Amino acid sequence: MSSRYRGALVALLTLGASFGAFGLNITIAQIDTSGLLLRQRVGAYVSVTDDQGEPVTGMTQGSFSVLESPDGLTFRNVPVRDFEQNAGAAEGITFLLLIDNSGSMYDTLDGSRTEDPARMRITHAKDAVRSFAASMTNPADRVGLVAFNTRYILLSRPSPDKEKVAGFLDQIRRPVTDDAYTELYAAIKAASSEFAGIPGRKVIIVLSDGENFPFFTHTGRAHPVFGKRVFTPEESVTSNQEEGISVYGINFGTGGEMDRNLRAIARETGGRVFDAANEEQLAGIYKAIHRQVAGEYLLTYRATMTPAEKKYVRVTVSSTGQETSATRFYFSSVVFGLPLENLWIWLLLPLIAAFLLLWLLTVLKLERKPGPASLEVLQTRVGRPVTRIVPLTSSKTVIGGSARADLTIAGAPQMREEHATILYDPKDRSYTVVGSGDITVNNREVKTRKLEPGDVLDVGGATIVFDDDKEKGGKK
Amino acid sequence: MTTTVRRLIILALGLLGGAAAWPVAEGVLFLQGGFPSYLAFLSLLGAIVGLMMGAFFGAAEGITSRIKNRIPRGMLVGAAVGCIGGAAGALAGQAALWLIGGAFLLSYRDLTWVVLPVSRAIGWAVLGIFVGAGEGVRARSPKKILVGVIGGLVGGLLGGAALEYSRLLMPHFALFRLLGLVIMGIAVGLFYGLIEEGMSYGVLRILVGDLKGKEFLLNQRRMRIGRSARNEIALPGYGDLADVQADIRIRKGEPVLENLEARNPVLVNEEKVTEKKLKFGDVLKIGSAKIFYKYG
Repeated sequence: MSSRYRGALVALLTLGASFGAFGLNITIAQIDTSGLLLRQRVGAYVSVTDDQGEPVTGMTQGSFSVLESPDGLTFRNVPVRDFEQNAGAAEGITFLLLIDNSGSMYDTLDGSRTEDPARMRITHAKDAVRSFAASMTNPADRVGLVAFNTRYILLSRPSPDKEKVAGFLDQIRRPVTDDAYTELYAAIKAASSEFAGIPGRKVIIVLSDGENFPFFTHTGRAHPVFGKRVFTPEESVTSNQEEGISVYGINFGTGGEMDRNLRAIARETGGRVFDAANEEQLAGIYKAIHRQVAGEYLLTYRATMTPAEKKYVRVTVSSTGQETSATRFYFSSVVFGLPLENLWIWLLLPLIAAFLLLWLLTVLKLERKPGPASLEVLQTRVGRPVTRIVPLTSSKTVIGGSARADLTIAGAPQMREEHATILYDPKDRSYTVVGSGDITVNNREVKTRKLEPGDVLDVGGATIVFDDDKEKGGKK
Repeated sequence: MTTTVRRLIILALGLLGGAAAWPVAEGVLFLQGGFPSYLAFLSLLGAIVGLMMGAFFGAAEGITSRIKNRIPRGMLVGAAVGCIGGAAGALAGQAALWLIGGAFLLSYRDLTWVVLPVSRAIGWAVLGIFVGAGEGVRARSPKKILVGVIGGLVGGLLGGAALEYSRLLMPHFALFRLLGLVIMGIAVGLFYGLIEEGMSYGVLRILVGDLKGKEFLLNQRRMRIGRSARNEIALPGYGDLADVQADIRIRKGEPVLENLEARNPVLVNEEKVTEKKLKFGDVLKIGSAKIFYKYG
């Protein structure tokens, strides 16, 4: 992450921490850039909740303002072109249930040790998952399951098959000592990448009884996967904010042990923590999440054009003198990338050079200059010519397989040592081919033949062209 | 000019087209903030890159056939087709970038190394298709258009990917876009040349006279031979030749030579013909020009 983004992140987290004080929370649940290319429009799905996590409805466009920034530091107001209420939930909601499988989950609800499975927290948590899956009434919704302790285990990817999840619960077994720690923040961060390619709203629900209890911090030994890395709550916040995922928590401890940062993570990602354990309350949680998503506002605005790999969107809501805001980014990278920081005059050099070379290509004569009479081997069916072009400078030129021939075609079995001879007649300055083996001129079998420029000889499988530029064969 | 030299010239023109497109592309990129919308910005950016590359590729036929008045016309048509293609390519690439990018968003790193390069390469491929098709449009030859489309597609895809990865591997190298554009031009040129030859019905090699050594690819369904520069196989400076003396048509996948002007004879293997199916190794005499028909 570049320092620029880090700065932006700090700003983002600071903001997130401050808004709870006003009793009004705002989350940008999703940014829709499908209208950006053709209509220059960006849509922000915004969820506004009160202190209790209940959606605040009936707000007007005037309550919101939208700002955009290329760096997360300097924001510019952008005009809102469209305002829509109750905009979410059409595509269904995807839930990922994170079930805590650490050592303490095998205690009773009030924290005492037990060997009776029926009294263990994990049994209540498993029941809760079954109840939750059973309460999902919208067929467009999806649900997946993760178990975590020292390790993170994806048991079931999000799918519309709600019964499948219940089947995976049996795979959750009591952990061995080294596996019994609670890597809560690492699990929430890892879970954010399980939603790839899934449209619509995304929700993580953590079913846990206790605190983040990292392996490395408490054993001093390197974690089998993370090594010495210890995850922070901020990391789980940002990774979920980036993906537009809201984190909810369900508390299973009755002694108020629930990780205090989980409440902040939930709040900053637009979720909340429920202290609930029975079926009725769990169904209530499902309904509450649905209500919140359904109650989202859609603000569509005209995007700015400042070059940036990603753009930050900040939505501010004001109500009864209170103001609170949330920030998210979308990718605004263009096909050619970012511009150079400065333009220099030497940038024109390749342009000038290219046109100069183009002009050179147009004036260049790439054809051979007229020369003395010659033989040129065009192709061979077998064998290869030792030299391709032989000037006819003597009165007798021999073509054959022999190394002593003037034009040697090596490796051709049909080729005689001296297969054909070109004789020069100085009287009429003409050339005549005489064959000792089979030869053709212009695909006609001959024994001997006076040659004209451009005549094509086949000598033992080699195609040879005769030319005599002095005769100006081509010109008339 | 042999087909190898011809291929090298097309390749060089691709390189020059990329180099020429770079400064103008940088200029437009620099002004991004001043554009009213992405649509206007990307259309112009793509158009100007396509225009430059199209113009340079358009010069290829005139240069390789050594018929100079074909150069400006080829460049103009190439520029026009490239301009449209460039705009379409840039918009398609951008759509791919944002739509695919949004749907497959995993992490910033995946986006950087997979989604951005792949979707941008798709955009470059669209651009390449139009740049490559320019010459086919000028020659009104569906076969040449097809050659250009395939050559441009493969070249654009490879060149586009090269551009993206050169940017990622050398983030502080200010010339990465120049490098990428040049690689893209070379790739389009290379594949155009290769596919053109692969899809041709053989080669006609001139054996005597001013154009001695020059090779013409039989790469269109009909190629005319004559003294006029309008012919696909133009033989200016050769005698006993009408403006349009003969043509070669591809019938059922085989080239057939036809004499169109009876007052001048056309010979195949020293035999006078009016219409004759050609086979590799045939020696043609059309006017004072002697031509060898070969495989490649």
